[in-house]
Amino acid sequence: MRRRPGIGGLQTAAAARDQYRLLGENVAKIRTDLMKEQLATFRSQLEDFARKHKNDIRKNPAFRSQFHEMCAKVGVDPLASNKGFWAELLGIGDFYYELGVQIVDICLATRPHNGGLINLQELCHLLRQRRKSDRGVVSEDDCLRAISKLKVLGSGFEVFSVGKKKLVRSVPTELNKDHNEILELAQAQGYVTVEEVERRLSWTSGRAIDALDTLLDEGLAMIDDGHRDGKRRYWFPCVSPISSSIGVDS
Amino acid sequence: MQKLGEFKLPHFFNYPPYFTLQPVRDTREKQVQLWKDLILDYCRTQKVFVIGLEEEFPLFSNPVIGRSLTHEAREAFLSALVADGRAEWMDKGHRKCLILWHRIQEWAEILVQFARDNGLEDGVVTMEEIRFGTESQGTELQGIDRTILNRALKILEQKGKLVVFKGTSTDDEGVKFSL
Repeated sequence: MRRRPGIGGLQTAAAARDQYRLLGENVAKIRTDLMKEQLATFRSQLEDFARKHKNDIRKNPAFRSQFHEMCAKVGVDPLASNKGFWAELLGIGDFYYELGVQIVDICLATRPHNGGLINLQELCHLLRQRRKSDRGVVSEDDCLRAISKLKVLGSGFEVFSVGKKKLVRSVPTELNKDHNEILELAQAQGYVTVEEVERRLSWTSGRAIDALDTLLDEGLAMIDDGHRDGKRRYWFPCVSPISSSIGVDS
Repeated sequence: MQKLGEFKLPHFFNYPPYFTLQPVRDTREKQVQLWKDLILDYCRTQKVFVIGLEEEFPLFSNPVIGRSLTHEAREAFLSALVADGRAEWMDKGHRKCLILWHRIQEWAEILVQFARDNGLEDGVVTMEEIRFGTESQGTELQGIDRTILNRALKILEQKGKLVVFKGTSTDDEGVKFSL
């Protein structure tokens, strides 16, 4: 716009500024509206998708996992409440609630054997055994989601990694670094000896025995004095490669 | 699953630490419970009535994992069964243990049922027949241990349900029911 001198010019400039501002606001509004519209479209498409693929979501764990990711991107949490569209349509809230209850059950039942620490793989295996008759497979991802919901309830469940494996802790006992290192060492054969711990981790005898005794007291380890070589072995049911489904076959 | 003859062994039987008496109380309780159940189960299905602690009882060792129960462990598990009323020591030295997968009272009831099933309410039958006769074949009474049979009969005798009489030799020992 050509600038005119004098008062007239100033008024024009002010008017121009106003118009630009208005334009700017309009553009912003259009953008927001557009986004809202896009989001709404996306959401309704997601709902259509969910409706159409309800069975797949229920039966196929890989599909289910990807569905959750999609939802997360749009800011939808199908597990947020037991009511509402998602829960009603998919019964997903119930599915994870049920899983959570069964997981707690299994952890309690195996606690005398493993001290409250269980291998995620084993947990899933026991879960699947228990749910044999139900349609649909339960994946590790499903277990993790159910457990994260349990955590929200403050039930003291925690998943952590030791070496290559994931362990689920259902007791308040927290493991320190020394304990974790022993567990990792034990993964190879399911057990360790004091000597091994000293040698592989370069610890003193006192430190090794202390840590092992604590793990024993917490019920996470069991002693074995029966080997020919006379060396005491400390076995850890939670990392054992042998399937030890003790007393949980329901 | 590992088997001992036809008997299916539970998973814990293959986990070495279960063959060592555990020092931690909760772990020990679980261990004792598992062994008690296993021993009773095995004895019931294999019709084992007496366990000798120093003898080669198949459950006391697992060659597959190279582990055996120590004498102390054997005694601990059997003592737990005794405390439950599911076993009795036969000697002060705790060398032999009588396994009661049925309590004596339960055996007594089984005998009464046996008499009823075979029309022996007023009948006479020898011990041999109760243990090995045709009527007892396929029933729980088949091959029943003498000591246990005698104990069960004594209970019934005290209740007036039968009379035990001795013959010219132990083979002739018999029972007259009066149910």
